[in-house]
Amino acid sequence: MISTGAKKQIDAWIAKYPKDRQSSAVMQALKIVQAENGNRLNADTIQAVADYLNMPGIAAQEVATFYENYNHKKVGKYVIRFCHNISCMLNGADDLIAHLENKLGVKTDEVTSDGLISVKKVECLGACVGAPMFQINDDYFENLTIDKIDKIVDNLK
Amino acid sequence: MADIEMEIDGKVVSAKVGEMLIKVTDREGVSVPRFCYHKKLSVAASCRMCLVDVEGAPKPQPACSTPVAQGMKVHTQNDKAKASQKAVMEFLLINHPLDCPICDQGGECELQDVAVEYGSDVSHFSEGKRIVSDSDIGALIQTDMTRCIHCTRCVRFGLEIAGMMEMGGTGRGEHLKIEPFLREGIQSELSGNMIDVCPVGALTSKPFRYELRSWQMNSIPSIARHDLVGSNLFVQTYKGKVKRIASADNDWINETWISDRDRFSYEGLTHKNRLLKPQIKVQGQWKQVSWKVALDYAVKGLNSHVLKHKKANQLGGLVSSTATMEELYLLKKILTEVGCDNIDHRLNIKNLDNIITLDSNIKLDALEKIDYALIVGANIRLEQPMINHRLRKATKKGADIDVLNVMEFDFNYPLNAENITAPNKIASTLAGVLKSIMTNNVQELPNYLATIEVDEVANNIAVKLLNSSSSVIILGEHIINNEDASAIANLATIIAQSTNSKTLNLSITANTIAANLVGFVPQNSGMDVNTMLASEMRGFILLDIYPQHDFHHLETVVKAFTPDDTFVISLNSFKDDIITGYSDVILPIASVYETSGTQFNVNNDMQSYTAAVKAPDEVKPAWKILKVMADLLELPGFHYADSTQVLAEISHQPHTKHTHDGHINFTNKHNGIGVIWQNSPYSIDAVLRHSSTLQKTKIGQMNSACMNQASAEILGLSNNDKYLGVPVVITDTVADDCVFINTNHAINIQEQA
Ligand code: SF4
Ligand code: FES
Ligand code: FES
Repeated sequence: MISTGAKKQIDAWIAKYPKDRQSSAVMQALKIVQAENGNRLNADTIQAVADYLNMPGIAAQEVATFYENYNHKKVGKYVIRFCHNISCMLNGADDLIAHLENKLGVKTDEVTSDGLISVKKVECLGACVGAPMFQINDDYFENLTIDKIDKIVDNLK
Repeated sequence: MADIEMEIDGKVVSAKVGEMLIKVTDREGVSVPRFCYHKKLSVAASCRMCLVDVEGAPKPQPACSTPVAQGMKVHTQNDKAKASQKAVMEFLLINHPLDCPICDQGGECELQDVAVEYGSDVSHFSEGKRIVSDSDIGALIQTDMTRCIHCTRCVRFGLEIAGMMEMGGTGRGEHLKIEPFLREGIQSELSGNMIDVCPVGALTSKPFRYELRSWQMNSIPSIARHDLVGSNLFVQTYKGKVKRIASADNDWINETWISDRDRFSYEGLTHKNRLLKPQIKVQGQWKQVSWKVALDYAVKGLNSHVLKHKKANQLGGLVSSTATMEELYLLKKILTEVGCDNIDHRLNIKNLDNIITLDSNIKLDALEKIDYALIVGANIRLEQPMINHRLRKATKKGADIDVLNVMEFDFNYPLNAENITAPNKIASTLAGVLKSIMTNNVQELPNYLATIEVDEVANNIAVKLLNSSSSVIILGEHIINNEDASAIANLATIIAQSTNSKTLNLSITANTIAANLVGFVPQNSGMDVNTMLASEMRGFILLDIYPQHDFHHLETVVKAFTPDDTFVISLNSFKDDIITGYSDVILPIASVYETSGTQFNVNNDMQSYTAAVKAPDEVKPAWKILKVMADLLELPGFHYADSTQVLAEISHQPHTKHTHDGHINFTNKHNGIGVIWQNSPYSIDAVLRHSSTLQKTKIGQMNSACMNQASAEILGLSNNDKYLGVPVVITDTVADDCVFINTNHAINIQEQA
């Protein structure tokens, strides 16, 4: 379930923590395993991570469901994580999300039919200063407007 | 910790530095509302219900996580405290469905109680409430997760007490949900305690669902009867029926927990297999008759088959391990009075010249303070869950635990070394331990150790025992039929003596200790059970015995009981075809919670209980039946008005104390495959076997003959075969030359039902 390569990467993280605290590496481990499993996790992969780190499955599940960067459903090549927490909401995130959904013809948690883009609503990404904002894969885009969103999204290939 | 003085609501109280405020208020009887705090769990301080006003602190403080200090002044009732409590209450109720009228927790709900006290009539919240979907988490616990207030008591219970984190909080914010992983369901042998710790109606008893309101029931304190602990509990009854079991506090025995076995076994009481009326066999035909006719028939039968011929030496009395002390005593007294010395309770021991005599000299609460334990021959977690829990606590404080077993079992704590060895090597390993210890102590070695080799396993155990300041050696059930049983027990005693260790004998169960105390073993030159079964007997009185579960050699037993001129009086609480086959009279007896009696636990704590409910239909408590039988036999000295008078008489008797012969005799030459055969944890007695919900759990379903590949080849078996009627499971977790059988005949009972 976890490839040798992934195990190597996880081991590198485990090594950063005190002995017997390998479960501290759970976030990285989930990320690594997610990356090699079609960018998503399921009960089996989560259990595999838990077993590898010698922690209860439910404890890994807690982490995997708490953070928004773990995907439990099929996602597109680009995952737009749109913040809808308080600062972004006050700055109009809800309307922008509606616009984005219309534009792509998908609802939150769905993937465009070409498999390119999926949208998720997420909690504060710590970039309130640039609210409203979203994250596409590893990059942040701030001070969003309808125009800006159109341009960014049109450039995704 | 030094004592300090502080003030609570104007009253000066003393406390210990660093103690949490809520402990002080609880001790002083000041009520502070709480949800996440539980006295036996870690402090989460997440619900904020316990906010109180501490002078000098700008904001209200949570009592459960505020350490007290000298001179602290606390107000639990002033405006500031009340306002905070009220606000928190309102928040907690935002998403709560307020469905008390259809909630099983109604009437015994902490949320309900606190809401009555601190809640307002109207909420500011008028938006939609969230709904949480439920999944089936197993046969024992019903969930209604929309009611959950996320106190995480159940999560912490799993992590801290059960030793397996089963519940967790998934999702976040509004999507936070308490649930187990993978829908595998809850599997812990202590899981039912989550029902008790859940302050709301999110986790309730599944078998009890929609049955009754808590205020409709009587709660009668009683004692659990299925293990060596005698957990304290409440039997909750309604109109003469046991409806539910809840745990009772007793820090010396079960703290505040009970095992699932003790919590859910009551269901067996109402199984349709209960025997409800006395019956007699006349010319091969069974007839239901009145008590008078049945008892007359029984006494007449005894007279004509046995007593008239002065053949009391061909009469035998056998009892099950669940009999109460009073029952044991009365049956023994009757038999002694008629001149019969053939009594025994050790039904499942193959060789009664080779038995375990081992003291239990460590208190249950002291178990959690040990620094080293050696467990020999026990699946302790499932066989004695509450004792295992104490050991788990010890490991959390750093104790090391070594195991010497024939198979790997699931432990809920890390082991220092799990040594898996064939049954016929256990004695020599222990001898190795002793040799190593004696060599270390520069003691002269006795002859029997001369040729013993000290291997690494033995040496490691010896070093541990020598270096530990409070250790215990525990012997479990798997040893009882070991060919070296008595040697193993004696070795354990000597090892313990030479290392200042304690010993704990878990090789027996239920009320066997009481049976030993009243001396329900062959008297004078009386026959033991195996001799009785091999002799021509004219009569038996059998107390709650079910041969296909209680003996290892069913055929011999049936053969001994069946002959026409053997008159068999069976006192039982459940129907059983085999019993009907050989008995002449069947007398229906009260089962657990239906009779008063006395139980002894492994610490020799004597615990008496009253009957919580009347036995159903015409069923009577066995002690009464025995008393009347004695009267009909015109025996003197049976004038008891109730069972406490029996108990009073017992306490004036000298107790039988077993003695160690200290004799060690083992040959270390046994060959062949050792079979360890035992009832699985939820089928050790008749009530349990009829508890339908327990039987649905994973533990209840245990029914396997485990062996490794090599043993399977020797026996010519493969995975789909049966061995002694039990499905074969080939696994490399079993030692060489060993078959470990955990069988559950109850599966058959369920199938028939
Ligand atoms: S289910 Fe009960 S015990 Fe568990 S978190 Fe919810 S309210 Fe607390
Ligand atoms: S609320 Fe959107 S980034 Fe903080
Ligand atoms: S009881 Fe103190 S915060 Fe929950």
